[in-house]
Amino acid sequence: MAKIAYYPGCALNERSSHLDRSARDATVRLGFELDELDTWTCCGAVPPVSKERVMNLIAPSRILKNVRDSGRDILITICDFCYNTLKRTNFSIKTDDITRKRVNAFLADDTPEREYLEKDDTLWEDYAGEVRVIHLMEYLRDELGYEKITENLKRPLKGLKIAPYYGCVMLRPQNEIQLDDPENPSIIEDFITALDAQPVKYPYRTECCGSYLSVSSPDASTRLCYRILTSARNSGADAIVVSCPLCFYNLDSRQKAITEAYSDFKPLPIFYFTQLLSVALGVEYGRQGFEKHYVDVTPVLDKIDISTGKGDE
Amino acid sequence: MKRIGVFVCHCGINIAMTVDVKRVAEEAMNMPGVAYAQDYIYMCSEPGQALVREKIKEEELDAVIIAACSPNLHESTFRAAAEEAGLNPWQCEIANIREQCSWVHTNREKATSKAIRIVDTLVQKTILNESLEPIPVSITKKALVIGGGIAGIQAALDIADSGYKIILVEKESSIGGHMAQLSETFPTLDCSQCILTPKMVAAGKHPNIELMTYSEIEEVSGYVGNFNVKIKRKASFVDWSKCNGCGLCMEKCPAKVPSLFDRELATHGAIYVPFPQAVPNKPVIDKDNCIYFKSGKCRLCEKVCEIGAINFEQEDLIVEEEIGAIIVATGFETLPVPNLVEYGAGDVPDVIDGLAFERLLSASGPTVGEVRRPSDGMVPKEIVFVQCAGSRDPERYRPYCSKICCMYTTKHALLYKHRVHDGQPYIFYIDIRTGGKGYEEFYHNAELDEGIIYLRGKVAKIFRDGDKTVVWGTDTLTGRNIEIAADLVVLATAMIPKDSTAELVKKLRIQTGPNGFLSEAHPKLRPVESINSGFYIAGAAQGPKDIPETVAQASAAACKVISLFSRDHLEQDPAIAWVDEDLCGNCRICISVCPYDAREFDEEKGIVIVNEALCEGCGSCVAACACGATQQRNLSDSQIRSMVTASLGGE
Repeated sequence: MAKIAYYPGCALNERSSHLDRSARDATVRLGFELDELDTWTCCGAVPPVSKERVMNLIAPSRILKNVRDSGRDILITICDFCYNTLKRTNFSIKTDDITRKRVNAFLADDTPEREYLEKDDTLWEDYAGEVRVIHLMEYLRDELGYEKITENLKRPLKGLKIAPYYGCVMLRPQNEIQLDDPENPSIIEDFITALDAQPVKYPYRTECCGSYLSVSSPDASTRLCYRILTSARNSGADAIVVSCPLCFYNLDSRQKAITEAYSDFKPLPIFYFTQLLSVALGVEYGRQGFEKHYVDVTPVLDKIDISTGKGDE
Repeated sequence: MKRIGVFVCHCGINIAMTVDVKRVAEEAMNMPGVAYAQDYIYMCSEPGQALVREKIKEEELDAVIIAACSPNLHESTFRAAAEEAGLNPWQCEIANIREQCSWVHTNREKATSKAIRIVDTLVQKTILNESLEPIPVSITKKALVIGGGIAGIQAALDIADSGYKIILVEKESSIGGHMAQLSETFPTLDCSQCILTPKMVAAGKHPNIELMTYSEIEEVSGYVGNFNVKIKRKASFVDWSKCNGCGLCMEKCPAKVPSLFDRELATHGAIYVPFPQAVPNKPVIDKDNCIYFKSGKCRLCEKVCEIGAINFEQEDLIVEEEIGAIIVATGFETLPVPNLVEYGAGDVPDVIDGLAFERLLSASGPTVGEVRRPSDGMVPKEIVFVQCAGSRDPERYRPYCSKICCMYTTKHALLYKHRVHDGQPYIFYIDIRTGGKGYEEFYHNAELDEGIIYLRGKVAKIFRDGDKTVVWGTDTLTGRNIEIAADLVVLATAMIPKDSTAELVKKLRIQTGPNGFLSEAHPKLRPVESINSGFYIAGAAQGPKDIPETVAQASAAACKVISLFSRDHLEQDPAIAWVDEDLCGNCRICISVCPYDAREFDEEKGIVIVNEALCEGCGSCVAACACGATQQRNLSDSQIRSMVTASLGGE
């Protein structure tokens, strides 16, 4: 089975381990294995947004260089923040000579290879952006092909109306990420269609969930998430699907606060795209980590008789 | 050796501030052949020109060099002056020491020595210059106007009135263009149809104008004064010579086709005229939507036509015409709403563009002038107008200002208020630009007296929520985000060149700019001419513009054509390429590099010859010719060599 370099990132290792596990389960059924890097560090998360021009790029560059040095040219990530950080770092290194030189100077300086360097500098090869950073959903769409998913469906999600939620960093900035049109994307809709479910289009699918405001101004995030969730529900959605752990946290856990703040609010289950994929490919219901969700997903899956474990393989 | 005079211009302080003009004149005196040198404050003024004329005679000069501005500006001025004093005009050269020297440098010392070298370069050229005579070319005094909008109509009428023949080619079945779609026009609010249709009728009836509607340009060859044009007359499947325009066929046609003229807010049959006032008022059959052409059954129109004008066997016809000058007035279209993804990507039914709103306002439109929204026919109580929808947005859409939107949006809001008194219009704008006679007053009154709310900021997103169309924007004057649940949204979409223009310019071999609009020969001084001789441009095909400007430009283009036709023959610049018959090796590389198709193989002589009427003197062939057979007159290899030597400081 093909092994593809995989960078999980901090969230998938801990709080969002169900995102990680469902992704591994699903991909194996699609014929490839997510091969976690032997060693990896924090990607740096938000820093690419900052004006600092070198320090924020060191950690992600080191990860990318290790992938390159291990002879691989594709790196899959799932968390939208990791994807954004690694892809944008790669973009800077690839397109800006000064950044590339500076980053490599730092990397060279703190590497154990330094002693060899002093003897023979040909051993060192600058990292020049050779690795392609690919989001798992991008891989499914462009490398595997969504039709492969449809061919392998064990439990088509026919009858479910799913609303995609894109969040912010999966698509932006467009000139660097180039995954889809940030104003009018379709990658998640097409994914939902591939699972035989019905995508629900609603105006808030690309609006902000509050992101880190959840920490500093939770009320702001509560209000934003209320609008997103209500808009999706009013458009007929049974559930929302996301790929970003922070979106998941805001849209799911925050529903407690939303229920307290808004009397008309009705909860809406949130899924990771990998959970829906994994369920649809027939992976055991019990392996999905649904017990980690604040909003119970069973009523939705009851609609198509999945929560009972029917169809588990 | 020739006696050369050098005249150094101060151009006020434009040159004199950076270049020591006196020293340039002094140094010039030491150059070979220079018999006289003098500086003067404004060489292009009458006293300056008089000085040149006087010295040519006094000093018995054989050639003069004017060290001044770019030859684009005053070469013809000084050549005329030289000719008046008895010199051959090609013995007058311009040394550009302004654009290429004083304007781009600050160091006086270095700029002065550069100016001296520039003059020296021209001296070297002038020594070897030959006296030339202009090449006479005959003219076919018949013009072609491409595009039957207001620009094309106006140009055609002006030329026709001066007594010359015109062919007016229009792609659609009727002339009239976008102006026929408009309701009232800013700032006077006169009815667009009322002022346009008399001109359409006049163009249709004028004995000097031959209308070729439902026709397209197939091929253009030849050169100024002598174009050969092939025009495709598309099959209309209606014999227009028989059709009396009764309209029975259109009434009976069972097909329903969205009307492009009505911006798809209404339908017409597969046999149709775009609008009732069409000129000519003859229908065409839309082959793609005709039931007979699709299924082989129907022919209802044929049955009801008593005079037998329907002809399903008709085929496209190619006609050939000899033409002297061509006016390109192909107009504009607007950025399609589906392109604006953040504004609903065309999926929200109550988001329409300005031209669609014109149709809603128009008395001859699908709602007979009542403002009713497309989704359910409701009279909208709140309308949001979004300006710069795709304009002034270099990152995502078009970088330029579409120029007319500020005015027509204000007009839209005002006409809406006149129709729906309790309605509330909002206008989102970046800046209000009202350059034009009476424009600012029009906007000022609308803002003060008509209850229109102007919001300064961009709209971020438009989406449908129930039967409302929600607009998210920002008001930068209060710093607040604005959300309006509107009944209808009108986008002032960017003006863009017609799709077909790109195809057409390839056939005409004329230039367009970075945004696809036609390029003028000079942005200020030659605004209605193409850089290619014999082609003139008018209207929105050249750039966004309103009706008064379009009409002015059309008349100007017509005037240029009339002035061309008023001559007995044309004079072609003789400083072009020629072929030394003894040296030509017949490799024909020059034919492939010539951008003007000016070179052809002469079977009899077995060499390549130059079509002097077509050659623009660009020099591509000279550079390509391996055996030196092709030379440019007054820019021979030996001249270039000595000029390069001089420009590098001699030796």
